[in-house]
This record gives sequence, C-alpha cells and structure tokens, in this order.
Amino acid sequence: MANKSYRSVLLPVATLFGLALVWQASCSLFAIDPWMLPSPLDIAERMGTDAARLAEQSAATLTLALKGIGLGVGFGVVSAILFHLIPGVRTALSPVIIITQNIPLIALGPLLMLWFGFGILPKLILLVLVCYFPVAWSMLAGLGQAEPHLREYLAMIGAKRWEVLRRLELPASLPYFFSGLKITATYSISSAIVAEWLGGSEGIGHYLVLKKNGYDTAGVFSAIICIVALSLLFYGIAALLERLVIRWRPPRSEEKGGKAA
Amino acid sequence: MNGEQEVKLRLDGVSKSYARGKQRHPVLDRISLTVREGEFVTLIGPSGSGKTTLFRLIGGVERPDEGQIYIGGELATGRRGLISYMPQQASLFPWMSVAANISSALASAGVPAKEAETLASRWLERIGLGAVAKQYPHVLSGGMQQRVSFLRALLMPRDIMCLDEPFAALDALTRADMQAWLLQLWEAERRSVLFVTHSIEEALTLSDRIYVLSPAPARVLAELAVPFPRPRRVGVWKDPAFVELKERVLAMLGEGAAHGR
Repeated sequence: MANKSYRSVLLPVATLFGLALVWQASCSLFAIDPWMLPSPLDIAERMGTDAARLAEQSAATLTLALKGIGLGVGFGVVSAILFHLIPGVRTALSPVIIITQNIPLIALGPLLMLWFGFGILPKLILLVLVCYFPVAWSMLAGLGQAEPHLREYLAMIGAKRWEVLRRLELPASLPYFFSGLKITATYSISSAIVAEWLGGSEGIGHYLVLKKNGYDTAGVFSAIICIVALSLLFYGIAALLERLVIRWRPPRSEEKGGKAA
Repeated sequence: MNGEQEVKLRLDGVSKSYARGKQRHPVLDRISLTVREGEFVTLIGPSGSGKTTLFRLIGGVERPDEGQIYIGGELATGRRGLISYMPQQASLFPWMSVAANISSALASAGVPAKEAETLASRWLERIGLGAVAKQYPHVLSGGMQQRVSFLRALLMPRDIMCLDEPFAALDALTRADMQAWLLQLWEAERRSVLFVTHSIEEALTLSDRIYVLSPAPARVLAELAVPFPRPRRVGVWKDPAFVELKERVLAMLGEGAAHGR
C-alpha cells in the first residue's frame, strides 16, 4: 500500500525531471537560440528575476477566475434546480444555452468588449458563460439520477416536494456537481487567460501578450508555468472540496464480506 | 367487530387496473380488509398478485379505480402522509447518519426536530445500535439496516405501519433472527401493522390475522385468525395446529392459482 502510493508520486515526478534534463541537454548540445526555445535554466532564471511581477499578474488572474467561478457556479446550481423543478423552462432555454457554448471564445470576446468596454464586465461575462455550463448540466443530470427506491420511500411516507429535493435529489446530485466543478475549475483559468489576452491591462494573459510581442520566449514560458500551476491549484481545491463534502461513500477497496449479519 | 373507532385501516371494495396497450389489466378486484388498533395483519399471496399496488393505494401515491380507503376512521383515498412504511430494501439515505435517517423521517411526520433526535438516539440505544448511531448506513449489514428501517417506521406517529416484504432480501438465518426480533419489539409496542409476505411460516409466526389473496387480479380468498397466544415464541412452528394452518393456506393458494387459469 505505502509502496504503491510512493511509486505513484515518484514515477511521474521522475518522468518530468527526466524530460527537463533532456530539454536542457538539447538546448546546450544543439546551441538553440533562447528566443526560439529557452532552456529550463533560462526559464527558471527569468522567473526568478521577474518573480514579483509574475506573482502580481497571477494574483490578478486568480481573482478574475475566482469571480468567474463563483458567479458561474452560482448561476449553474440555481438554474439546474430551476430546470429540474420546471422542465418547461429547461426545454425553452436549453437551445440558447447550448448555442452560447458553441461560439468560440475568441469570437465572443471581442464582441463583448465592443458592447461592454475594456473593464472587468466583458471578461466576467465570458468566464461565467464558460463556468456555468459544466456545473449546470452535470448537476441537472445528477438531480434526475436519485435512486428510485428512495424516491418511492419518500412518496409512500408523503414527503413534500421540497423535502424530496433537500433530502434526496440535492445530496444525490453532489457527486455530479463536483465532476462539473472540476471541469469548470480548469476551464476557468484558461478562459481568464483568453479574456486577458483579448483586452486588458493586467493578468497573466496580458503579461503573455507583452512577452510574446517582445520575443521574450523565456517570459512566455514563465507565464505558461504560472498558468499551469494556477489550473492545477484550482483543480486540486475542487477535488479537495469533493473529498471533504462527500464522506458517505464506502471505501471502494474494502471488502464487504466481513460485515455480513 | 369491536366498534368502528378501533379500526385503524379499512379498505372498502378497492379495485385497480392498469392500461397496457389498448387492454386494461385488472390488478386488484374489490379488495376489502381491516386492520384494528394494535393488530398485526398479514396479506399473503403469490408474487405478482398486486400487493405492492395495494400499498401504493394505501400510501396515496395512486388512486383506486373503485372503492374507498379509510385511515384512522377518516376517508384517505388518494391522500398521502398518513402511513409509515418499511420497504423491501432498507432504503436508508446513504448521506445521512443512521440516527439522522430516523429523525428526519420523524420530522417529515411532524415531530419537532429536537424530540425526533432524542427519540432516535434513545431507541437506537434500546435496540443495541447506539454505537453506530452517528455512522453512515453503509457500515451496517443488511439485517442491521432493516432493523433501522423498521425502527424508522415504528417511531413515525401514524395510524398504520405498512411493511412490504421487509425480509425478502435477507438470507434465511438473518431472516429468522429478524422475525424473532420484530416479534419481540412489536409485542412490546403493539402498533397496527399491515404486513405483506409470501412466506406462509412468516405470516403464521407474526400475525393475528391473515388475508389470503388470489393471483392477479387479486381477490381476498379467505380471512383467517391465527390462534396462537401472545407473547408468541418463535418455536410456534412446532405446534401441530401451525402445520395444519399452513396446509390450509397452501391449499387455498393452490386452489386460487387453479382458478386463475
């Protein structure tokens, strides 16, 4: 058991480290220009010198993404419940919602800026559109998935509609909600980057544009590393929340036979 | 027999049929029965004789085509929230602790939250499950889950308890154990019970009266009183009268089946 988890951490770390070594070796062996492909050490150096700026820009992106997630998840949960309770609303609105999901962000972004200016509003709208869908749709699926025999039990004892929602449908939908949240968590960062790229004066996306325009490839890589780190952080937080909230599931590996009668 | 106010449940010529394609399939044919205060009444019949449909009518989840249902002396046809119910599967909510499963059902039935919690923990203590009151139900064996499910039904302050083949999914040893346990607990509490089973032994061991049903469309073939005194011992099956009664019921079920064809 301990050996296994040891290996599951060690192997991927070793692989990443190995790749970085090969990268570093290739850069010096083939004398690649740093503006073409900077070596890992170049990137590390750039991140060191630019650390304050990177941290500041990352914080700006983080704030934007958090606002987007908060609003998107909020709307998602509310509309999933609404669609579940009133199927007519769902039928009426789902084409519109699905259409918005199929417009590429780089097409939608400039339009939103045209309409709402260069402030935070168009970026937030963009993010909410992205964050909303995975949460709303997976939760909606979850609300309909409640076990039929539990539903029948509640009907037989005469539970009210809101009791069925609170005691059965909402808890049963939580695992679905969290799979939506995990998708949303990673989407939100890359969408925030796109939004900042399209127009803005701060954030890692903005930093990325500046560095690209200045042929500062090491700077571009520094930005990429920050973006990946932020995405992983968000995913990690979502996964942690899931583990904290859903504690009723029996441990999967445990044998059930030992508990008979 | 002993005055109308003592009758907790009365079915008066209840019929029900379902449309399948263009044809109507009768399931229940003018069923009349009563359960008096503190009486344990069993319905026995072949599988598929519409016992579950009968329960759904009593629970008010469906309405009969004909006939009326009275609970606690009042007209209850199509009215929900008047019975307590123990289904074949324990139907405990996996995200609630064992105690919360019981107290939330009591709250549904109008017991104040504080009182419901006290009742649940005191009774779990009494049936020897005090140690797992705060645990999730998946730690319990099938038999233990059924005990919790029975307790949940017992504690709901309603006129009639409906038990729908509650032991059918258990293995033979656990089942015998559960019968003895239920007998003891019920004899101490004396609630009005309507019990469904297709085990003749189970019916004879537990009940005061038995209604024998025919195959679908179900009619009441016979009503028999079980003469064994209370408190009853589980060894009652060794009594020659028990064997005789069992043979009578078997013969009736056999005849009913022959008529059905």
